[in-house]
Amino acid sequence: MDGIHDLGGREGFGPIDADEDEQPFHAPWEARLNGMVRAISRAPDWTIDWFRHCRELIDPVDYLTRPYYDQWMQTYAAMMIVSGLATVDELAGGRATTRADLPPPMTAAGVAAAKARAVRYDRPGAATPAFAVGDAVVARRDGHAGHTRLPAYARGRRGTIAASHGAFVLPDQGALARDAAEPLYTVSFPTSELWAEAAGRRDTVLLDLWQSYLTKA
Amino acid sequence: MTEHDSHTVAAIHRELHDHLPSDPALRVKALESVLVGKGMLDPAAVDAWIELYADEIGPKRGARVVARAWTDAAFRARLLADATDAIADFGFTGWGTAHMRVVENTDEVHNLVVCTLCSCYPHAVLGIPPAWYKSAPYRARAVRDPRGVLVEFGVALPAATEVRVWDSTSELRYMVLPRRPDGTDGWSEDRLAAIVTRNAMIGTALVTVPA
Repeated sequence: MDGIHDLGGREGFGPIDADEDEQPFHAPWEARLNGMVRAISRAPDWTIDWFRHCRELIDPVDYLTRPYYDQWMQTYAAMMIVSGLATVDELAGGRATTRADLPPPMTAAGVAAAKARAVRYDRPGAATPAFAVGDAVVARRDGHAGHTRLPAYARGRRGTIAASHGAFVLPDQGALARDAAEPLYTVSFPTSELWAEAAGRRDTVLLDLWQSYLTKA
Repeated sequence: MTEHDSHTVAAIHRELHDHLPSDPALRVKALESVLVGKGMLDPAAVDAWIELYADEIGPKRGARVVARAWTDAAFRARLLADATDAIADFGFTGWGTAHMRVVENTDEVHNLVVCTLCSCYPHAVLGIPPAWYKSAPYRARAVRDPRGVLVEFGVALPAATEVRVWDSTSELRYMVLPRRPDGTDGWSEDRLAAIVTRNAMIGTALVTVPA
């Protein structure tokens, strides 16, 4: 979707807070929320891309103004509601009136095993690459209303396949809880292809893009 | 079953905006109470995760990987060829690290990592991403004005250096292998690890020897 989340290249933002310290969290509730999302029982059809899409669907003003972990909070609240696991009234009042029909949650003892768990998204052999390293490609011009990982700033632009990674879950389908895979590539775009003011510079932007995001140049 | 419908979720967000408590800390507390009441969350597991991110999972892990790459040429070669496998030597596997890529800064190339679409970051190796990494200004500007962004972080690159910006649009997770600073010949891995900063592994800092 052409949402507010697609921020690459948007102009008008001010300086970056480059002096921030190395503390991971800046309020106790942030650390708590981060811990909660790692420990909760999940509906079987909650995927990483569904979470991302649900965050993208936050009202644009809230997306730009609400603290980061507060957005996570609201995203999980919305996911619970749309999955029939909670109601707005329960979340507004902080009191559950029904139990969820899900497996029991992670225990403190279970965290030791869960901390080393890395979910894989590659699906070796599930699809055949159409492009090879060095091929010139053009990113698709149009997006679609659902979740996608082709940023607006790269659409219609010409790049070169820099690496070929084999098949990975396609986020556009993953957001619908479908495990469909496509070849994934790293595509290198000269900044001069992306931004008029970068003419003459030799810098590059590299994006990981799926096969259906690309056409042969 | 979840109804994976964008319009439904957008409408729920608007309703939540109007009905949840106004303070984020209270909103999070309400969510935790509901999750516990639903049988979806054990608060003791939350405490355990908080402890892990306070002590164990953080940029000190990535710094150890960098220090080894600086002192062990064979490890460096493995790290650049298959970062996931090389980092597994340390046991730093976990959230967001099934598909790691390490990109190396050299005399000719400076690498910078961003996630313009959300906040993708190699948590198990670098910990929690800094607030600026998740902020709109960094996400908007890193791909368009990387040299201007670097100057704000105190990094002025020669014009001849090529800047490569890695936009983390997939489940591949990027970490920068910074340049080893001059004046560190003969340093131990531990001593080197102590000077590697989080920002250097994202690409917004160079590693320097403390005065």
